[in-house]
Amino acid sequence: MSIVVHDPGLETTVQDTGRLGHYAIGFPPSGALDSYAYHVGNALVGNAPGAAALEAVYLGPTLEFTADSVVAVTGADIPVSLDGEPVPTWESVAVRAGQTLAFGQLAGGARPYVAVAGGIDVPTYYGSRSTYTLVGIGGFGGRALAEGDELSLGDAAVDPRAGRRVEDADIPEHPTTAELRLLVGLHSYRLTPDSLERFTSTAWKVTPDANRVGYRYRGAELEFVPREQPFGAGSDPANVTDCGYPVGSVQVPGGVEPIVLLQDAVTGGGYATLGTVVSVDRDRLAQTKTGDHTRFVPVDLDEALAIRRDRAARLDRVRSSLA
Amino acid sequence: MSSHRITARTPGVFYRRPSPDAEPYVGDGAAVSEGDTIGLIEVMKTYREVKADTTGTVSQWFVENEDEVTIGQDLVELDT
Amino acid sequence: MTDVTGTTTENDTRYDFGGDEFVYVEISAEMSLPAHFASLAITRRLREEAIPGVEEICPSNASYMVRVDPDRIHPRDLVHELQRIETDVGSAASEDPDFVVDTRIVDVPIMFADPWTHEVLMRFRDRHQDPTGTDLDYGARINGYDSAESFIDALAGAPYLVTMMGFVPGLPWCFQLVPRERQVEVPKYVRPRTETPERAFGFGGAFAVIYPVKGAGGYQLFGSAPAPIFDGAQEQPDFAEEDSVVFFRHGDLIRFRRIDQDEYDDVRGLVDAKQWRYRTRPVRFSPSRWIADPDGINAALVGELDR
Repeated sequence: MSIVVHDPGLETTVQDTGRLGHYAIGFPPSGALDSYAYHVGNALVGNAPGAAALEAVYLGPTLEFTADSVVAVTGADIPVSLDGEPVPTWESVAVRAGQTLAFGQLAGGARPYVAVAGGIDVPTYYGSRSTYTLVGIGGFGGRALAEGDELSLGDAAVDPRAGRRVEDADIPEHPTTAELRLLVGLHSYRLTPDSLERFTSTAWKVTPDANRVGYRYRGAELEFVPREQPFGAGSDPANVTDCGYPVGSVQVPGGVEPIVLLQDAVTGGGYATLGTVVSVDRDRLAQTKTGDHTRFVPVDLDEALAIRRDRAARLDRVRSSLA
Repeated sequence: MSSHRITARTPGVFYRRPSPDAEPYVGDGAAVSEGDTIGLIEVMKTYREVKADTTGTVSQWFVENEDEVTIGQDLVELDT
Repeated sequence: MTDVTGTTTENDTRYDFGGDEFVYVEISAEMSLPAHFASLAITRRLREEAIPGVEEICPSNASYMVRVDPDRIHPRDLVHELQRIETDVGSAASEDPDFVVDTRIVDVPIMFADPWTHEVLMRFRDRHQDPTGTDLDYGARINGYDSAESFIDALAGAPYLVTMMGFVPGLPWCFQLVPRERQVEVPKYVRPRTETPERAFGFGGAFAVIYPVKGAGGYQLFGSAPAPIFDGAQEQPDFAEEDSVVFFRHGDLIRFRRIDQDEYDDVRGLVDAKQWRYRTRPVRFSPSRWIADPDGINAALVGELDR
C-alpha cells in the first residue's frame, strides 16, 4: 500500500503531532501547523490520534494510490478531485487502487491536510514522523516531497470508513484578515508604550517570507526604549541576553518586521520578544497567506486557558461525532 | 482571435526576469508556447517558475516586475 | 519590576507566561555567572522534583523556560513552585559550597583564522560594523587587544561553560569562565549573513558558539571546528554510543584548543573514517570555589584533559 507523488506541490511534508521533549537541545517541535485540521483529518479516516498526514501549502500535491484506501482533505478551502471528479473536503472519501487525487486553485486559507487511513508510514525520528527540513531529519528523507516519491501507508487504521462528514459549524472559516490572540509580555517592556499600542492596533500584512519557521509581517514601525544594553546582550536595542523563545512568540528585529515563530523555528536567541500567540491560534495563523492581514488581540492568561479548553472540548465533540 | 489570461497559482513576489540584470523571460508582443516560463513567483524563500498554460502572443501585462501578487490574480494576457 | 503574580522576588527575578504553554523566568537581564548558576541550580532541582505538568525544562544563560501542560498544572501554580525552588536553591547557588555540578570537560579543537570562515566573512563585509578588516581584527580592537594573535590567546586561554543549548539542534552557547573584566564582548553583524559554514566558531554578545549546520547567522566568525557537533545519522562513535544526534549538553565545560591546519586535516580524516572521538574527562564543578579562585580552578579543570 503506497502513494506515488506525481506532483509534490509546494513544500508538502509529512507531519504529526510533533517532536516534543527535545526543545532544550534545540529541536523545535515541528508537527502540523494547523493542529485542528490535522486531528480532524485523522478522525475522519478512522486513524488513532497522532498518525502522520501530509501538510501542503497553497498548491496541493498530485497523488496516485496503489491500493484501495480512504482519504480526507481538511484545512484550507481548496477544490479536490479524484481522477478529475470533484470530491468533498472535510469528509472521508473512498479511493480505489490506481486513482489520482489532485487539487485545484486555493480559494481560502493556506494549508490543506491529507489524512490517509493507516497514516503515512515513515520511520520515527526522536519519537516523531514530522519533517524538520532545516537539519534534514524526520518525515520522508528529512525533506519536502518530490516528484516520484513513493510513500508507504500504515495498516493501523482503527476504523477506516468513507462517508464520514464534519458538520458545517465545525469547519473553520478563513477570513483574509485573521485575529490572533496573544499574551503580551516576555520583553514587551523593551518597546515604547506607543509602539506596543501600535502593535496591537495595526492590521499587519503577511509578507512572502512566511513559512513553517515563522511568519513575517509589515505594516508599522516599532521603537525600542533607549537603554544602556546589559552585559551579554549585544549592542542593538532589539537584543537581549540570549534566552529561550516560546513557540508562537513574536519578535521585532530592527523594529520593522514582526516575526511570529512557528513549529520549525529556532528555539532561542537574542531578540526581544513582546508576547506569545496562544497555542490554539497558531491554527488560524497557519491558514493565513502572503498578502492577508493579521491583527494581534491581547488576552490574559485566564482567557488563553479558556480558549484552550474550548478547543479541546470542540475536538472531543467532533471526534465522538465521527467515531 | 481570442484571449487567455495566465493567473498566479501562489501568492508572492512576481519577477519577469530570471535575475535583475537578465532580459525578461518574454518581451511585450512576444510569442510564447505552452510550457514556456513567463516569470517567477518568490514565496517562502523559494522561486517557482510560472509557465504558460497555452500558446499565444503577449498582448497585455497586468503586473509590474516585483509586484506582490495573490492567488488567482491575472498576470498576463495572451492572444491565442 | 513586579512579576505576573503581583509580587517581586528578592533578587528581581521576572516570572512571565509565554502563551498558555510556556513559563519564562529571567533571573537577570544581564549575563553573569551567578545568574547562570542560579538558573542551573533551579532547573536541576526542578528536574528532580518531577512536578506533574512540567513537560520540558530549558535552562538558558541568565534565564530558563519551562514548557507546561496547563491541563495538568495551572501555569500560575507552577510559578509559585518555581518561586519556592528559587528561594530554596537559587540565590545561594554561587555561595553554597555544597552546590556542585558533576559534569565533564571536553577538548574542542578550533582552527582560528581558518580559510573557510575567512572566505565567507570577506563576502559579507557590507553587513559588518568594520568593512575594512576581518572579524578577528575587529574583535581584537574593540576588546582592547593589540593584535588578532593576542585576542586568540585570550579566547583560547580559559575554559567555557555551556550555559544554553538551542537555536538549532546541538548548538552550544558557551560563556568563558573568566572574571567580568576579562570577558570578551562583541556585537552581532549589523545585518545577519545569509551564509555561515558548518562548524564555524562564532562569537556574539558574550557568547561563543559552534554552528552545527550551515545556515544564516549574525555572530562574528573567528574560526572553524574540524569535528562535528551534530551528527544526524549518528555515524561517529561518540554519537552512536550516546544514541544522540547532538554532542554537547547543558553544563558541559569546554576547552577550545587552538590548532593548525595539519591537525585540522588530521581530525577531518578521522571524521571521514567515522573514527573521531572527543577527549572528555569527568569533573566536579563548584561555582562557589570557582568564584573564589577562577584561575586556579580553571588550571585544574584543563589539567584534567592533559593528564
